[in-house]
Amino acid sequence: MHRKAIFAGGLLTISVTACGSAEQPEVVEQIVVREPGSPQVVASEASATVAGAVDLVAAGEDAFQSCTGCHSVNPDGRSASGPNLYGVMGREAGSLDGYSYSDAFAASEIVWDEASLDGFLADPTGYIPGSEMMAGAVPDGEARKAIIAYLSAQTDNAPGQ
Amino acid sequence: MANFVLNGQAVSIDADPNMPLLWAVREKMGLTGTKFGCGIAQCGACTMHLDGDPIRSCSTPLSMAEGREVTTIEGVSGEAGNGDGLASAIQAAWISEQVPQCGYCQSGQIMSATALLRDNPAPSDDDIDAAMRGNICRCGTYTRIRRAIKVASGQATPREEEA
Amino acid sequence: MNDLSPDKKERSKLAKWSRRGFIGAGVLAGGGLLIGIGVRPGNPVSALSPKVAGAGENLVNSWVKIGADNIVTAIVPHCEMGQGAHSVLAQMLADELDADWDKVRVQQAPTDGSYVVTDTARMFVAPFTMNAADWIEPTWNGLFTQIARMADAMITGGSSSIRTTGQHSMRIAGAAARGMLVGAAAQSWDVPADEITTENSTLIHKASGKSAPYAEFASAAAHQPMDQTPRLKTPDQYRLMGKSKARTDIPAKINGTAEFGIDSVPEGLDLSYAALVRPPVPGTKVVSMNAEQAKTMSGVLQILNMDNFVAVLADSYWQAQQAINTVQIEWSRSESPILTMDDQYAAFAAALDEAGEAGGDEAAKKGDAQGAFASAAKTIEAEYRVPFLAHAPMEPINCTAHVKDGKCDIWASTQVPLMARSGVAETLGLSADDVMVHHPYLGGGFGRRLGADEMSMAARVAAATGYPVKMIWSREEDTQKALYRCADLARMRAGLDESGKLVAFDHAFTQRHDPAEACVPAMYDIANTSVRVAPAELHLPFQAWRSVDHSQQGFFIESFIDEAAHEAGADPLEYRMEMLKGSAHHVAVLKKLAEISDWNGETAAGHAKGVAMVESFGTIVGEVIEVDMTSGKPRLVNAWAVCDAGYVMNPDGFKNQIEGGIVFGLTAAMYGELELEDGAIKQSNFHDYKMLRMDETPNIEVALINSGDVPVGGAGEPGLPPAAPAFTNAIFAATGKRLRTLPVAKQFA
Repeated sequence: MHRKAIFAGGLLTISVTACGSAEQPEVVEQIVVREPGSPQVVASEASATVAGAVDLVAAGEDAFQSCTGCHSVNPDGRSASGPNLYGVMGREAGSLDGYSYSDAFAASEIVWDEASLDGFLADPTGYIPGSEMMAGAVPDGEARKAIIAYLSAQTDNAPGQ
Repeated sequence: MANFVLNGQAVSIDADPNMPLLWAVREKMGLTGTKFGCGIAQCGACTMHLDGDPIRSCSTPLSMAEGREVTTIEGVSGEAGNGDGLASAIQAAWISEQVPQCGYCQSGQIMSATALLRDNPAPSDDDIDAAMRGNICRCGTYTRIRRAIKVASGQATPREEEA
Repeated sequence: MNDLSPDKKERSKLAKWSRRGFIGAGVLAGGGLLIGIGVRPGNPVSALSPKVAGAGENLVNSWVKIGADNIVTAIVPHCEMGQGAHSVLAQMLADELDADWDKVRVQQAPTDGSYVVTDTARMFVAPFTMNAADWIEPTWNGLFTQIARMADAMITGGSSSIRTTGQHSMRIAGAAARGMLVGAAAQSWDVPADEITTENSTLIHKASGKSAPYAEFASAAAHQPMDQTPRLKTPDQYRLMGKSKARTDIPAKINGTAEFGIDSVPEGLDLSYAALVRPPVPGTKVVSMNAEQAKTMSGVLQILNMDNFVAVLADSYWQAQQAINTVQIEWSRSESPILTMDDQYAAFAAALDEAGEAGGDEAAKKGDAQGAFASAAKTIEAEYRVPFLAHAPMEPINCTAHVKDGKCDIWASTQVPLMARSGVAETLGLSADDVMVHHPYLGGGFGRRLGADEMSMAARVAAATGYPVKMIWSREEDTQKALYRCADLARMRAGLDESGKLVAFDHAFTQRHDPAEACVPAMYDIANTSVRVAPAELHLPFQAWRSVDHSQQGFFIESFIDEAAHEAGADPLEYRMEMLKGSAHHVAVLKKLAEISDWNGETAAGHAKGVAMVESFGTIVGEVIEVDMTSGKPRLVNAWAVCDAGYVMNPDGFKNQIEGGIVFGLTAAMYGELELEDGAIKQSNFHDYKMLRMDETPNIEVALINSGDVPVGGAGEPGLPPAAPAFTNAIFAATGKRLRTLPVAKQFA
């Protein structure tokens, strides 16, 4: 049986794209701040905000998504590039088995609660000098509050569980 | 001014201290081996080593590198690099197992794998899962990456190219 | 608008076209040999022509050159986006040429009309000419070269590079070159040509003991007469083709030296960087912008309202992105009534309601489906839905542009460099000859890079500012303001006879793009089939997404066939086998699939297997997925695939593509979904547009069947369509729960 080999996928769509290139407007507004190489102006910070959320834990789960590249809250306890944070509230800093902490963390006697986590997340390497948590500072106070609420719920002892 | 050691050489970068290390290294130092994929530490394409540990350089400010050692894919690679034998074994395995497709994520994959094998010379499947899950490969080479890590750690025999 | 034909004026030229194409050759400066497909004098000349010596010849296309150092360079007119086209096309050329594979290099063809991929265009326009008799071959080739030029058809897509350009151009160029080298040596040595053999870039005359490297005769070879249709090797003669040769581009991809579009730093230019924001809702524009804060931020150079986007130019990309994040933009109001996916699905449903049980545009018809339903013993019906999907290549869209003195240079990782060139030229009001598109490696294509609009956007910024600009799309921009795999709704009915056999099949849906046959279950022997399209508008702009229509049609059809099988109380694999028994190739694939997946064997408690088969882009692929439901959430355990593409040129490379297609398909099945809020896409980055990761990927085993001698099927896309239905069919087998919508994970949250 002769099986026809059919090409597709690109050509039709391409012709549509090319045909659709219509009018290309001129620049509507062009603000020239400076030329390349000329002195810069003083930097100002843009702050991130957490969209208003009624449920703080839900907002915290959203905000925590940015942490999942390194941290999990899986009850199985397995750590990745960052320690597993299941049950972290009430845990002594640097104490989770199976994760290789920095000396600073291992030596720390902090027991994580709302206040200490808030301080740490605001400035991890300032709060625990020598900490290896380079990324992951959470500058926004509301976001920190939400994340802390979410982490508080990731434990066997969470209210309602 | 951020002063640190980059791939074994002392460097000084004049840039906003909040600029992520990723962009400082790519744009100010011209080392484009480390890639931008997401900007929020979700994909791992930007993985570098800071004092030997893997970091997501898109979320690490330049100021954090001050006085420390940063290593990129260029630094662990072959002749130009610091002769990291472990990375060479990994790269040889990446070739024998024909891992990459488009290759864009592979710098980050190799940096994560190098850090894993340094800490754990004979990782299990679960160890590999945990260490590598932060690195996305959109082309789907995960099964080959896993096999290559096992080959590099002597836990599997390399594929031989068909003559 | 799906019209590929050129405008009327050009069409009349084409009608008179009768010139023959022929293979021409020339001598490189420095004494190398350049081989190509030439077109008779009088036709449009390319920038390459001045380099060609040889009276009255114009070079239109050239794919191989041999240097004085005996290095053979394959000049490849397709892009390399991980599918291995560069290396495998070189492998095919090198084999016909009898080149020393260790001395073969690959060069990306420049963006020039000379490099239109004639055969790719030809396969699309007139596939019946692909295996033309020898004597007419050059005429077809010349004709389609012209068509391809007019369509700016230097493209890579459709899983086609190997089976079109590779099979029909690269091999011819290699064989022709070999013939000319032999002719030159024969002349010089004064021996009969048929006494000369070639291997490893060396000419050998055994009888006299003479031998020479190709380089020695490269210049002389150019003056040899050329065989218009050189004899190509048969598979038993292959030395490189059919072998899993290591890819030539891989070494650079493991040490950070491979250059992707985002890495391009044009020599001698001081780049400025741009970030951009496009409208959140398609079709809207900038009404006003407030950039007061951005003006004060470090590194900022300019802020531009470009009407259909806003850009900030700065000393670094990060500074540009930080600044643009603070720009408050007022967007125009969207006219579209579609604000949520419920609205979109309702629009699909309305179109299908109007078409009813037999209306809509006919896509396929066989027998009398409506009549057959009336007499069927049992009828089942179901409605299926799939969401919009983003391509999400790892390298976000980016483009570097420099406009100066009436000329423009573009650096972009693109699947369509000639379209990019034309698009930019038109945007800037320049001639295409004044636009140069450099296209390095792509960090993933998948169809995302089949457009040219982004290059025009960057060019406009470069033109407005006067600086060389590298514009980078943030992952959020790339996810939310792009073009997409369509969402769709399908309504299917199946009529079964007393024995459970499928005797009537009716399938209606709203989105039909291409390939045309994706929506037709043609491989199955179903006596009465009707496939109907009730077109509905998409809220988001469409772009071909890896396997295009096969991605949703595979899910619709293979899930519903599975429903029919279970309704008939039959084993799903056997049920398919019955309907395929007219086709030996399909049966062979299914048989092998049953074997390697141990389909009939025991599975662990809580585990189950599902099967699906889709033929796409010329390749038959059957897949079995094993899922573990013991935790209540689906866990992917194993995936098996059997593929028949006719003949596979590089088996390991082919398998890599199938593995990748399976992961891409499973990712979409498990997580892929874009939701709409107020008409704008909600998902923005990998935290909410989730990807399958290493720890969720199943073991994958791929087996290949070469049922023929030539590649008739592609590798890049065919692995994808069976993945989702095999997965959901497995979930049904394990739980009795039939999933008719995707993605999977949220249905088990």
